[in-house]
Amino acid sequence: MRKLLLTAVIAALVPFGLHAQTASDLMKGSQKDTANVLNYGMGYDLQRFSPLTQVNRDTVKHLVPVWNYSYDDNKSEESQPLVYNGVLYVTTNAATMALNAKTGEQIWKSKIEYPDETPRIVCCGIINRGAALYEGKIFRTTLDAFVVAMDAKTGKELWRSHAIDFKDGYSMTVAPLIADGVVLTGISGAEYGIRGFIDGWDPDTGKHLWRTYTVAGPDDPNGKTWPGDTYQHGGGSTWITGSFDPDLHTVYWGTGNAGSWNPTTHPGDNLYTCSVLALDPKTGKIKWHFQFSPNDPYDYDSVAEMVLADLNIGGKPTKVLMDTNRNGFFYVLDRTNGKLITANQYITKQTWAKGIDEGGRPIASEITDKVRQGQEQDVWPGAMGGKNWSPVSYNPGTGLVYANTLNFGMHYKPTTPEFRAGLTYWGADITWIWPDGPRGGLKAIDPMTGKAKWEAPSDIPRFSGVLSTAGGVVFSGKLTGELEAFDADNGKKLWQFKTGSGVEGQPVTWQQDGVQYIAVSSGIGGVYTLFSGDERLSQVPAGGSLWVFALAPQ
Amino acid sequence: MRFAACLIVGFSLCAFLVSARSQTTPDPPPSPQQFGKGSELFAQICSHCHGPHMVNPGTASFDLRKFPHDDRQRFFNSVSNGKKAMPPWKDVLHPDEIEAVWAYVRTGGVEPQ
Repeated sequence: MRKLLLTAVIAALVPFGLHAQTASDLMKGSQKDTANVLNYGMGYDLQRFSPLTQVNRDTVKHLVPVWNYSYDDNKSEESQPLVYNGVLYVTTNAATMALNAKTGEQIWKSKIEYPDETPRIVCCGIINRGAALYEGKIFRTTLDAFVVAMDAKTGKELWRSHAIDFKDGYSMTVAPLIADGVVLTGISGAEYGIRGFIDGWDPDTGKHLWRTYTVAGPDDPNGKTWPGDTYQHGGGSTWITGSFDPDLHTVYWGTGNAGSWNPTTHPGDNLYTCSVLALDPKTGKIKWHFQFSPNDPYDYDSVAEMVLADLNIGGKPTKVLMDTNRNGFFYVLDRTNGKLITANQYITKQTWAKGIDEGGRPIASEITDKVRQGQEQDVWPGAMGGKNWSPVSYNPGTGLVYANTLNFGMHYKPTTPEFRAGLTYWGADITWIWPDGPRGGLKAIDPMTGKAKWEAPSDIPRFSGVLSTAGGVVFSGKLTGELEAFDADNGKKLWQFKTGSGVEGQPVTWQQDGVQYIAVSSGIGGVYTLFSGDERLSQVPAGGSLWVFALAPQ
Repeated sequence: MRFAACLIVGFSLCAFLVSARSQTTPDPPPSPQQFGKGSELFAQICSHCHGPHMVNPGTASFDLRKFPHDDRQRFFNSVSNGKKAMPPWKDVLHPDEIEAVWAYVRTGGVEPQ
């Protein structure tokens, strides 16, 4: 009888185990589970590193496409694919799709509808950055600010929760994070006068569990860093997925720029904009915060990925958080307490700060002092920063962070914006200042010094994610369409393949039935394409699709 | 009956001529004042998709430097009601704001002297 009962229990659990992603599955990440890609960032640490070695610096020249899948979409394709048990899940702004990871055959496609007016409150590309998987469900956000859960087997919608009214400038492009059994989502819209936040949702029902504002209000002691009611349009968007340390039960989520850009409209530190928040995922309570750019005039937002690693610092293993910040400095923090370990300039030119003091506060340059007095100035880096949203990769083997960096400045003229719901709330007129040479480069950065071991420059800067592997290869894409592979040790170009549009996606890798695959989305239309005025991209057609590569059989 | 037919033909011809004129007669050149207001609105509302000073590659969004300067009706219709990737704006922009942006678009981004 006992044997029969045990058999029945196992029989009941098998299908669940096959189709459900448990919390412990999510904790493995791609470093311990090379058959799947279950997390945004390929692991809770957002390292985007794989221990796979079949594709390596010697074999990568044999990499060939094995299938291509049309997104039937002409927007920027920045979504990171997920892979679970041979099924690849990927999103666009207009659909969620499940594909056979080996053949590219479509298993299901679930379309997303949003009002025609929605794109007018999206500043920098009509996009979606990906989904999250948990216990047989797939979660995503929509441009008109809904969070949606679907059955991962069928694509059938299970619940749909409304975060906030898009007509007030709020939109959602972020890939959700599952941490301690809670679905976490961020928000976009700091250029539209929003008040940013991070939300927690019940994965089973879509019930709203908590909201933590990234712009401190009167009920928060740090609300005094905002004069009057300026916090109500204070920005602080949260459109890149946070990292998570399951041992510390802490989520690390970056926050965006202050609204408006003009710092004279809100004198003060403007907490918690341009910061990283350490949160309890179950309650949203802020454990600590660290602000990179107080009273930011330049759109040096800090939403981009907070990479977690254990580094040996002074002979001591240390739990760190690394941020290749848009302000041009590379930060290493102690993630147990938010204290600065080191911050060093990683870009060629910056003129807004004399440096970072021991406490982590920037020392303003004369240029920034003048801007804060309301004057026009030339400043480096420009509003797209030293690195934009494009996620870096950290290779624990080489100890280097591989980052698509930018090299251009701007002429900055503060203006006084008037808030109108649903319209931009910039607060500055800017004109780009271009360098004579390349506008960007893929750099291999030493996190403790900010110095680059090598750089692969690019006339038109790269805006794609980066992937590195134990095979000694670094992958990234170009806006002109090439997916490229570089030697992780010296930056030597090893391979490239020209896709049909510009690559702004996030490459991932996994191994299935003895074959290592590499996938990346192609599809131009993000912030640089729209906002730079770079006419050299006029011969790069729009058109989103997913490319998957493997070594050609020898 | 024949008179009525003539009237209908006459009205149709008039309507055709008026319509043809509205399609082909360019608006007067924008003044520096219109340029100033239009460029300000363009920078605030349009530039992040259509590029600074209307300079963009023309692939992910429309290159407004190529917009026909004699097709006011098409411009107002596209801005008000949306077209393809262009969202509708009529519920948030005043007609005089669309007029100012139209004036700016007709300058090609170059300030009139």
